[in-house]
Amino acid sequence: MPSDPALSARGASIGYRDRAVIDGLDLNVPRGAFTALIGPNGSGKSTLLRALARLQSLSSGQILLDGRALATIGPREAARRVGILFQGASAPEGMTVSELVQEGRYPHRSLFGRWNRADEAACARALRLTKLEALADRPLDTLSGGQRQRAFVAMVLAQETGILLLDEPTTYLDLPHQLDILELAGALVREEGTTVVAAIHDINQAARYAAHLIVLKDGAVVTAGPPDAIVTPALIEEVFAVKAMVVPSPVDGRPLILPLTRAEREDS
Amino acid sequence: MMAFVVLAASIAALFGASVAIGDEPIAIAEIARVLLGEGDPVASFIVEEVRLPRAILAVLVGAALGTGGAIAQAVMRNPLAEPGILGINGGAALAALIVIVEIESPPARLLPLAAFAGALITAAAIYALAWNDGTSSLRIILVGLGLNALAGAGVGFISAFGDVTTVQQAQVWLAGSLYRADWETVRVLAVWLVLPVVGVLLAARELDVLTLGADAARALGQRVEPTSAAMILAMALISAAAVAAAGLIGFVGLIAPHLARRIGGRRSRHVLPLAALSGAALVLAADLVGRLALSPANLPAGIVTTLIGAPFFALLLWRRRDAV
Repeated sequence: MPSDPALSARGASIGYRDRAVIDGLDLNVPRGAFTALIGPNGSGKSTLLRALARLQSLSSGQILLDGRALATIGPREAARRVGILFQGASAPEGMTVSELVQEGRYPHRSLFGRWNRADEAACARALRLTKLEALADRPLDTLSGGQRQRAFVAMVLAQETGILLLDEPTTYLDLPHQLDILELAGALVREEGTTVVAAIHDINQAARYAAHLIVLKDGAVVTAGPPDAIVTPALIEEVFAVKAMVVPSPVDGRPLILPLTRAEREDS
Repeated sequence: MMAFVVLAASIAALFGASVAIGDEPIAIAEIARVLLGEGDPVASFIVEEVRLPRAILAVLVGAALGTGGAIAQAVMRNPLAEPGILGINGGAALAALIVIVEIESPPARLLPLAAFAGALITAAAIYALAWNDGTSSLRIILVGLGLNALAGAGVGFISAFGDVTTVQQAQVWLAGSLYRADWETVRVLAVWLVLPVVGVLLAARELDVLTLGADAARALGQRVEPTSAAMILAMALISAAAVAAAGLIGFVGLIAPHLARRIGGRRSRHVLPLAALSGAALVLAADLVGRLALSPANLPAGIVTTLIGAPFFALLLWRRRDAV
């Protein structure tokens, strides 16, 4: 783990009403790497990502952005450095793809600042990376689910943040679109040094694309580290209550999880 | 651009017609002479003291209603939101009516103040009862309809116990009429509108970000709560000023922003001015129709806009029947 994490949480607790979703959590997000958050539903992945993006306030503890308390950084400056693709984003009726993407420039513009060349270039790049150029003038409500998801990705790309948080970016997408999004995130990490944190349901996909895994259960970090160092049958059983075999993938040697059928469990 | 020119031209034509047409028709040439200070005394009086303030008031009231509607639809993320339907105008009218009935001959500048208080109270009630991250469901509309009915009942109550003559005069104003237009009303309205309208126009970009929803706006670095509070305050000011000047002219705030988006897309910096122009055209037209349709009787503009607006509202509701 690099010595200066891009984002970290120190004793972070988050509660809705009086139920603590996350309680005294510590974690470090390595800079310039692809980190995947994995854990069962309700383990606090979304809540944690929302807190890292200032959408959720902490009841105690703090989040550090480049070593500085996030709470002391102004909202616009924070939005220039951390972007989030959250679940359930919806656009107003009739809004087109390019209109949505242009909103991503908001934190970069002063109150009376004019639309400039940097804004234009950022939007063009975002549309290119998400392969939405041909759909730029289409209203979002006429697009497929996968295309709409890409449009929201394009908006957060236009925000040009060094840190990108993705809350279940692949949920509800079919396999090719899932891979598109993961490949895009991977390319941003490799080519531009972006720090990516993605909550991902599919453990195999997470192990395949991420260099660093953070495993959550009941609002606490169970373990964190490179996939091949931490993914074991014991971890999968502890976190997901599933008996599985873990084998190195024939493609890249990363851990591949094979859940056992009932018959196989009884045999072993 | 083409549509903008058509809109501006139709306002000019309606404005001209408003000044020229009436019980005493006045030719355009004569109007020009009056404006140059060379007209005959009768024509001068009719143009300068009756029809000109009335036409200008129609433009200002229409622009205010259109702008208020555009703000409401953006902040509430709901194309059916409108200060009239939400009961904000109704609350303003009730408060103004209380002042009219309870205080004998109140000064013109007191009415907007009372109306503003009424509008704010209603807006706060909607916020408390229906706001769920700028809900785009019909919940907010239903709560608004309820508050509107409540304000209507309040109006009935005040009217029943007020002085008969005062109440009768107030009824004409309440029905949304430009009948009492004079330069004083025009001046008061203009003064009340300047600040909120200019402020909202300058902050049009903030309105666009708000329409993405609270989470997305916050993720982009907007301070969501103070921004929406300021927008709602501006909307209440604008709506209240319009109500104080001309009573309840319904549905303009609903129709004008729809026309504006049809013409100019979604960006608030286009929608706001276009909604103001559309609103001005609608109220000018409604007042003209009201004066001519059953002449010599004077139908309040508010009745005309409601006759057009209620079916339009029903059409919008029907189109969104799956979105409940």
